[in-house]
Amino acid sequence: MRITTRRSAAMLMAGTAAVALTLAACSPPGSSSPSTSSSSSSSAPAGEEPAPGVSTELSADPVELDLYLESGFTDQFDALLAEFTAQHPQVTFKIRSDSFQNLAQNAVRIMSSPDAPDLMRFPTVQAAAKDGILLNLDEYAEAYGWNDWPQGTLNQVRIDETGARGSGSLYALGVGYNVTGVYYNKAKAEELGIEIPVETIADLEAAMDTALAAGETPIMLGNADFTYAFPLQMIQNQLEGLDQVKDWIYQKDGATYDLPSSVEAAAKLQQWAEKGYFPADVNAIDYATAIGSFTSGEGVFHFSGDWEAGGLTMNAPGEFGFFPFPGLTADAPKVAMAAPATYVVPTNAKNKDAIAYFLNWVHTDAKARQIVLEYTGSTPGGPAELDPPVAPEGSVINETLAAAAQVADDDGAIDFLGNATAGILTSTLGPDLQLLITGRMTPEDFAAHIQQAYETELGR
Amino acid sequence: MNTARSSRSELWLGRIVLLMLVLFTLLPFVGMLSAALQPAGSNPTGIQVPTNPAWGNFITAFEMSKLPTLMTSSLILVLMVVPAGLVLATAAAYGIVVLRVPFGGVAFVVLLLGLTIPFESLIVPLYHLMKDAGLLNTRLAIAMPLVALYLPFGVFWMRAHFQGVPKEITEAAEMDGAGWWRGLWHVHIPLARPALTTLIVLYSLWTWNQFIIALVMMDEPLMRTVAGALGAFQGQYGTDIVLLSAGALLIMLPTITVFAVFQKQFVVALLQGSVKG
Amino acid sequence: MTQLDQTVAGAQGARPAAGGGRRTTRRGGERRGPWAAWIFVLPALAVYSFFTLQSLAKSVQYSFYSWNGIGEARWVGLANYAEVFSDPRRVTALANAFKLIFFYSFLSIALGLIAATLIRGLNSRWSRASQTLLFLPQVVPLVGAGIAWTWLYSSDGAVNQILRAIGLGGVARAWLADFTFALPAIGIVGTWVLIGLCTMLLSAGMTKIDPSLYDAARVDGAGPIREFFAVTLPGVRGELTVCLTVTLIAALANFDVVYTMTLGGPGGSTMVPGVDIYQLAFNQARVGAASAMGVVLMVLVLALVLPLQRIMRERP
Repeated sequence: MRITTRRSAAMLMAGTAAVALTLAACSPPGSSSPSTSSSSSSSAPAGEEPAPGVSTELSADPVELDLYLESGFTDQFDALLAEFTAQHPQVTFKIRSDSFQNLAQNAVRIMSSPDAPDLMRFPTVQAAAKDGILLNLDEYAEAYGWNDWPQGTLNQVRIDETGARGSGSLYALGVGYNVTGVYYNKAKAEELGIEIPVETIADLEAAMDTALAAGETPIMLGNADFTYAFPLQMIQNQLEGLDQVKDWIYQKDGATYDLPSSVEAAAKLQQWAEKGYFPADVNAIDYATAIGSFTSGEGVFHFSGDWEAGGLTMNAPGEFGFFPFPGLTADAPKVAMAAPATYVVPTNAKNKDAIAYFLNWVHTDAKARQIVLEYTGSTPGGPAELDPPVAPEGSVINETLAAAAQVADDDGAIDFLGNATAGILTSTLGPDLQLLITGRMTPEDFAAHIQQAYETELGR
Repeated sequence: MNTARSSRSELWLGRIVLLMLVLFTLLPFVGMLSAALQPAGSNPTGIQVPTNPAWGNFITAFEMSKLPTLMTSSLILVLMVVPAGLVLATAAAYGIVVLRVPFGGVAFVVLLLGLTIPFESLIVPLYHLMKDAGLLNTRLAIAMPLVALYLPFGVFWMRAHFQGVPKEITEAAEMDGAGWWRGLWHVHIPLARPALTTLIVLYSLWTWNQFIIALVMMDEPLMRTVAGALGAFQGQYGTDIVLLSAGALLIMLPTITVFAVFQKQFVVALLQGSVKG
Repeated sequence: MTQLDQTVAGAQGARPAAGGGRRTTRRGGERRGPWAAWIFVLPALAVYSFFTLQSLAKSVQYSFYSWNGIGEARWVGLANYAEVFSDPRRVTALANAFKLIFFYSFLSIALGLIAATLIRGLNSRWSRASQTLLFLPQVVPLVGAGIAWTWLYSSDGAVNQILRAIGLGGVARAWLADFTFALPAIGIVGTWVLIGLCTMLLSAGMTKIDPSLYDAARVDGAGPIREFFAVTLPGVRGELTVCLTVTLIAALANFDVVYTMTLGGPGGSTMVPGVDIYQLAFNQARVGAASAMGVVLMVLVLALVLPLQRIMRERP
């Protein structure tokens, strides 16, 4: 075709091979350590040099803080930032935002660039912390007393010397701390005679059978963007071996997902699919469509988190309620996915002291805490001694708050399965769930395949 | 197929088949138009003739999609890519064909191979190249790789043109004492106008519709190409079919308009190559 | 589709070398020009080398490492390549690329041939207008096509609407969420995009067929079908090659459409190499694996396209 002379072709190939080999012999790509001094291989993030003189004072000089947020969740920040600027006029804010999916894909790139924001919405801190992109917040934690706050959810953003999560240095804070559970349509529950709160999994199944018999969709939830990881884990949370699941999520050495509880939970989810609890074409329904349908009155139950509570209160006040996912028995401790809506400070941030001050303010200032609750429906976290903010009477936010308190009391907070690694949800957990609930994958294969992907991604 | 011989029923069969193909082609556009004209926020089922066409949706979509910003951004990128690409490609083809540089054939073959390299195969190293140069999230990071990636075709195209120019013209220019530059500028470029115009149109179209490079190099959707921003638009308004359709149609309108205006150019462009053979 | 168009016109322009009878001969006996003229060629070559060739080489380099794009890279030799050919997710992506060739290449070309024949045969203003209309999908961004078709394929979309209208309501479903039909659904979008291009090319090729060949066939008693296979088809061999090349590359290098419509789902059944590369590199932070996939994709394209050119050229 285009290679009109064989000699040219041969020369070309020889040339390319030579270049390729030369480059292959060259130094490997990537730096061994970016801006900070963290050592590369053993992932000891604690080796980073602390910023000189961490200050808990807010400078009087005008400063513009750069925030990178998740689109669709910027309202709470608009209110927070307005309040902060009202209290501290020298501080202004610049906001950039993108969808959760794009954020998950791009956050690392954005933070390692010289243009890094001061604060970034970022759900999976582990790898980034290891690579030194995230600021170690220990000094600020010391200075502000963050280590004295309830640690149940904060532990999820701590990383120890082995690079595993669960304890160690603090790398993020939450603006709002989420809890997950079961939303229900009040009117339908009453019509069907379902007792709220549902106390056991068996009761929940009975309730769903009743709904099905009455022609209702028991569960209004879609799996196009892998939201069935929620009910999967909600079931698994109630089974034996929770600590092993936690170890797996935290990337502890030797952790595995190929557990009896994984197989059991997957089997139960598949069973629910077979019974018809899920909407038809469940894999075609995405998250936004599902919550939209639920809000307009379709379906009886919806598995999600307190971040929806604000919207539900606004769009359909008084129509929906919330309770934590039931255990095997009525007196089982309340275990639920409960995580900070994680925000990190990149190492390349330009205004570290100011942003730390802002973060502390979000957790401790009464007005800020109220805003966080009202807009996100989540607990604002912070010191246990502070009065919790209150939601308007009859709002479902009160129920999510109560559930969060229960989970905290029972020490039942666990991170999401999807947060185990940066890619596990989109690469394997999600697609395999789509196969599982349409009967195309056995629960055993499901658990094994996820573990395999986990090991490949972590290079184990 | 000889129409004189075909029976009337064969003719009609032919017309029907062609009609079906055309309808198939137009189906998505009709679908989007129908959805865009439904009442705002509704959930249209299939293609419906709107009883009360909600033309206002286009205005909403225009505002929400920030179309003027998007189009400006795309235009800036086109201005960054097209002139540079044109100059480089024309100069190279001129050197190879008209001036007959030694080993020009080799250079040409090297460039040609680039025609078959999928962009996705290069996107990762290109990304890191831009990152190390500190150019990520600037338009340069989108424009420069595009210039390079479009070169193979550009050189190819201009080479084909120059090959079609009779040697006598070049020789005449030489005899008149024109150096290389004058020869190019005063003699060849005017002759190359049709080929250059086609190249401009094609380069512009490709840049406008470029997706993956814009997606990877630029985080801010408003500074990408129109196609790149369309992806973000879908992410944000995915569940609002009405708004999404209106926005998508608006975003596609410029390219469709250009095509309608330049269709002769497009057709001639593609046909030129085969006629030359 | 930029790449697509590039290769079209590029491959098209290449044909002069394949045909005979050129006005300016380039081979043998031509005196070489001056070295100084390289000043015209160097800029293009420099830019090309710096971005394209260097990326090519770097891609190969990265493919031998396990690297997350930020920290240190770990040499793993051919492990990434082993994974490309053994991990079911990678293999599915490659297999899907091949499956899409049916829709992108064969179906488009078949329909293009039909359309071109009809357009030339009917030879009316309307048929010429339809040629322009058929070309429309080539002009809009693929992302736009993806968005439009995603809605068409939805449970409430026009495809199901049409199916129900003609009595096939039982077949209606959410096409893009169906494990069996999502890939063909995407394939059809590819056909939709490429029919116009093939029609245009083949139609142009048909113009050049010597009408006396048709006369000869008629004298031999050939009907329209025989005419088509005996005269038309061989006459457009060159254009067919171009069409095949272009559509092959489009099928293998697919990104925009799948990214917009399914992102590889459901359950990975529509994963294609382009999207896989993107996700591996930017989502799962596995640059080495992504690069290996990229290199394999490149090799595949060449392995299909080069022999094709040679085959189609060798026949008399």
